[in-house]
Amino acid sequence: MSTWIDIAALDSVPKRGARLIKTALGCVAVFRTGTDEVFALDNACPHKNGPLAEGIVHDKAVTCPLHNWVISLETGMVQGEDTGQVATYPARVVDGRITLDAAFLKQREVA
Amino acid sequence: METVMEAPTRTFIEVSEVWVPEGDRLVLGSGSYGTLDSFAAASGKESFTKGEGLPGKAWAEGRPVVLKEFDGSYFKRTEAAKEVGLTSAVAIPVFDGKRLKAVLVTLCADDSERMGAIEVWSEKEGLLTLDEGYFGAAKHFEFVSQHTQFPKGQGLPGGVWSAKTPILMRDLGSGYRFVRAESAEKAGLTTGIGLPVPMPGGGHFVVTLLSAKGTPLANRFEIWDARSAKVGTKNEAVLIDGICKRDGALWSDETERRVGAWKGLIGKVLGTGLPVLETGPSPVTANYTSAVALPMYAHGEVSHIVAWYS
Amino acid sequence: MKNAVIIGAGMASGRVLEHLIEADPEAFNFTLFNSEPRGNYNRIMLSPVLSGEKSYAEIVTHDDGWYGQNKVTCRFGEAVTSIDREAKVVRGANGDVPYDKLIIATGSAPFIIPVPGHDLPGVIAYRDLDDTNAMIDAADAPGKPAVVIGGGLLGLEAAAGLALRGMSVTVIHLNGHLMERQLDPAAGYLLQKDLENRGIKVHCNGATKAILGTDRVEGVELDDGTVYDASLVVMAVGIRPEATVAKNAGLEVNRGILVNAQMETSDPDILAVGECVEFDGQLFGLVAPLYDQAKVLAKILLEEEGSFVPKELSTKLKVTGCDLFSAGDFAEGEGREDIVFRDPARGVYRRLVIEDDQLVGAVMYGDTADSNWFFGLIRDKTEIADMRDTLIFGPAFQGGAPSDPLSAVAALPREAEICGCNGICKGQIEDAIAAGATDLTAIKATTKASASCGTCTGLVEQVLAVTLGDDFVIPAAQSICACTDMTHEDVRRMIKSQELKSMEAVWQECGWKTSCGCHVCRPALNYYLLADWPLEYTDDAQSRFINERKHANIQKDGTFSVVPRMWGGITTPDELRAIADAAEKFAVPTVKVTGGQRIDLLGVKGEDLPAIWKDLNDAGMVSGHAYSKGLRTVKTCVGTDHCRFGTQDSTGLGIKLEKTLWGSWTPHKLKLAVSGCPRNCAEATCKDIGVICVDSGYQISIGGAAGMDVRETELLCQVATEAETIDVIKAVTQSYRENAKYLDRIYKWVGKVGMDWVKEQIEDLDNRAALVERFEISQSVYRKDPWAEHVTKAETYQPIADLTLEAAE
Repeated sequence: MSTWIDIAALDSVPKRGARLIKTALGCVAVFRTGTDEVFALDNACPHKNGPLAEGIVHDKAVTCPLHNWVISLETGMVQGEDTGQVATYPARVVDGRITLDAAFLKQREVA
Repeated sequence: METVMEAPTRTFIEVSEVWVPEGDRLVLGSGSYGTLDSFAAASGKESFTKGEGLPGKAWAEGRPVVLKEFDGSYFKRTEAAKEVGLTSAVAIPVFDGKRLKAVLVTLCADDSERMGAIEVWSEKEGLLTLDEGYFGAAKHFEFVSQHTQFPKGQGLPGGVWSAKTPILMRDLGSGYRFVRAESAEKAGLTTGIGLPVPMPGGGHFVVTLLSAKGTPLANRFEIWDARSAKVGTKNEAVLIDGICKRDGALWSDETERRVGAWKGLIGKVLGTGLPVLETGPSPVTANYTSAVALPMYAHGEVSHIVAWYS
Repeated sequence: MKNAVIIGAGMASGRVLEHLIEADPEAFNFTLFNSEPRGNYNRIMLSPVLSGEKSYAEIVTHDDGWYGQNKVTCRFGEAVTSIDREAKVVRGANGDVPYDKLIIATGSAPFIIPVPGHDLPGVIAYRDLDDTNAMIDAADAPGKPAVVIGGGLLGLEAAAGLALRGMSVTVIHLNGHLMERQLDPAAGYLLQKDLENRGIKVHCNGATKAILGTDRVEGVELDDGTVYDASLVVMAVGIRPEATVAKNAGLEVNRGILVNAQMETSDPDILAVGECVEFDGQLFGLVAPLYDQAKVLAKILLEEEGSFVPKELSTKLKVTGCDLFSAGDFAEGEGREDIVFRDPARGVYRRLVIEDDQLVGAVMYGDTADSNWFFGLIRDKTEIADMRDTLIFGPAFQGGAPSDPLSAVAALPREAEICGCNGICKGQIEDAIAAGATDLTAIKATTKASASCGTCTGLVEQVLAVTLGDDFVIPAAQSICACTDMTHEDVRRMIKSQELKSMEAVWQECGWKTSCGCHVCRPALNYYLLADWPLEYTDDAQSRFINERKHANIQKDGTFSVVPRMWGGITTPDELRAIADAAEKFAVPTVKVTGGQRIDLLGVKGEDLPAIWKDLNDAGMVSGHAYSKGLRTVKTCVGTDHCRFGTQDSTGLGIKLEKTLWGSWTPHKLKLAVSGCPRNCAEATCKDIGVICVDSGYQISIGGAAGMDVRETELLCQVATEAETIDVIKAVTQSYRENAKYLDRIYKWVGKVGMDWVKEQIEDLDNRAALVERFEISQSVYRKDPWAEHVTKAETYQPIADLTLEAAE
């Protein structure tokens, strides 16, 4: 049974942008796409830990600001020639509010 | 079968004819002359080169032309027309890009009773102004229209101009609170249909047909959409709007009326790509005495068909 | 016979009546209450009545004759005051009516935003015939101003209708694009363009602050300060279920009246249908599900089996000449793929959303021919794996017709300007081709197109290709990125010649293959748009690389560096003290003097940025733009003030230049220097623009670099006065801004267009003045401190939520 945690209003994250959630185990980045989908990923590029929340969001991907690695927001997989994966967490919008599955606090403990 | 028809009044438009290019001349494709046999006979013998007579002028200039005075003009059939009381004419060319498909000519008889209007609007400095028009006895409305301008998107001409599609309007007089509308109400003008007429070199004219209750220009109007963007790649058309004195509203927001090429009046236009005239009461003319169906071209295809029945 | 009472004569209850009477005309005695003084009419056709394209008589579904014939007692213009469930009686203003079965169909009420002035005369909602007639009455003189608040389905239909009635209409919409619930931004752009073409002004991202006026509405004021005149304001921001009567009767009501799949409320003798109901958490605003509900409700009343199941919905807009279609779900959800097709020549955009080999959503604009087919695929959850590759082309195109990359150029009108330098239009090039000029050299020779700066070469080649077909082979050119086949130069010319003023416009008109670009093209487009349309285009922070978005340089550990501006390298003890204080307060690990004569604070945490900027702002300092593709610094030597060799006031000129140029965005970074004498202590000859002062005036040279490439500047011109120096530098900067490819430094740009061409631009005094004027127009927007602006939205630099104390379980 999953528990959804209310995070913030959808509008507090800019379209094609991201904001951070601080947790005891590091930061999770919440992304909002051009079509108002939301995704939650660890805020660290598998390459050199670049802050993904600061990257450019296009379609359902983000480009890391440090070395332009492109990461799928849906799967966390690195796109193109490079390889690697970022942890992703279930996120959804309910009545204009972003909510995250509380599992993201637990899973991060294991990781 | 409906047998009781209203006593035939003379309609606003007396004669309609379609002139089609054959080599370097325009020849008569078809005509609807009512009882005016002598004029029909005179027309059958006629043909026009580019620039010659009214149809030739519409061809050469690539634009609709209104002629309100035959005497001393370039009109070639003046004698035959005068004999039967025809005094004015409007020619609408149909171009597919730069290629002339046909010229539709309508002729009207002047008298002091028949209200109605055929207007040609053209763009000047971003506004539509009346280029020419034939108004019958609606003299005040003619004067007002000559002094009216329409920006893009406003009124029937402005709406047609910006939407690039024919538009059919109801209650011309009652709905609009403008001077032109007041005057339209006084003249009894109720229904108006506007058509975009593209010029071969780019640019648009807008032609409007305004019908009055007492002396209707037509008793039934239809607009069909034939763009592949609407109906797909089959050569078909969908009825998007229409109104009929007998059948009421012809549109439906639930069921779609669609015809294919060569089926009925509209199908014939789809098949030939040319304006089509039909005469005599029949299912094709919706049991009216005559029907005119005029195609419009855009992006190399018939985009819309406008039909009127009287 | 049983008594059935119906409250509300809307589209749903009209259908209920029809079904019941058709099935068994003897089953019920009907009483129909309606607060409107009329019976059932086709409410969704009110828009064409407003526009004059339909008459009210045409949209009446049931007239007096019908009610009489079917023994329906009409209580029109009479509100129901209450329902007595014990006595099973409906109480109306003119008397009670007993019921065996009661049907509530009270529909919805428009939502009125409670801003000051919302109750002024002339502010109306758009729900019924009375509203429609009030709007028609308001259009009593040509060009009267009307404002429609809400750019959704209803608001836009109202706007188009009012425009046809001759009003001058402005639509104010809260979201960034029109009809955001049904359309994505690309389709919203096309719709906006269509409406603007009808003379309707569209103001997106507009929040209404107040409705102005004393006795009557006179205008609308927005949060951003914009004021629009209005003699009529139409509020079309949304609807909510009208459930008051039901609630007062003690029925279960949430957002709407709660019903089960049999349309029964919490009282089994009371049923509800239409926009007033809530079923399974859903509300209903479109007509298709209302008709489904009506069918079920009639069956239940006739004691047959029936169950309401919500289906996928599709949307069409009733504005003549606007063809759009939207169905299914194209927003939220994971694991989805997009297929996008654009045909700029016809203004067509299609987007399909696929999930698990099924079509789940579709947006179409300009070409809705196959909309029913796509809707069928969505509704029936058809497996589309086999036709996936050609799906976007519709049922007739199974087999495939690839989009033509040349279609954008083919779509240009003959009067579209291709060569900006020589004012050559597409038509002139076509004519030259027709006259026998069949390659680039011949076009250059006969028309001068692409013979000057050459940035339009790609477009000229494409005009050749479109006109000559297979006879012409375009030399391979590098496209911006995988999102497009066009080069930087092509896109820039399109932005100028077609007056493309938004990102969506560029994507559509240039046939972008992705729905919203990528990290390569977006920053470039953002730059081109703001450089070419400084007043019309709003800088898009989300299309900027992080340094420019956050106005600080990101470091490899994710911290930032902060560099305050020191005009011409001059500082004061107060400024130095403030920098020192800030460095201590925010525990800045490294403080370094830069090569551009200022001080860099390295290792500042992202969330501290607004606070440190505020401290520096308070001491009178502004951003040094050490992070931007824009003016960085103007390095100076001490000049005549102190130096025995100095020939002019180089420091003073440097400060003036920096104060003139700061804040401007350029294709790449822009560094200047002013040396007071040919000894060149400020190293002006390896800057992008360098000034060497000599006894007789100022030598201006451009195109230096000291990065991976090291280049010496080339002389542009020598001028006599300081003022002329500043003008020349503004002009050459503007020419670089307008013509260079994004991420080309000046030396690369000069290498492409040639020094002679740049000199011509500057030597022609009229042209120079025009460049200076355009530069100043742009600077009227951008000559400001971004730090001060960002300090006011400091909260966006903080985490959106802090869950560090949240237990993991």
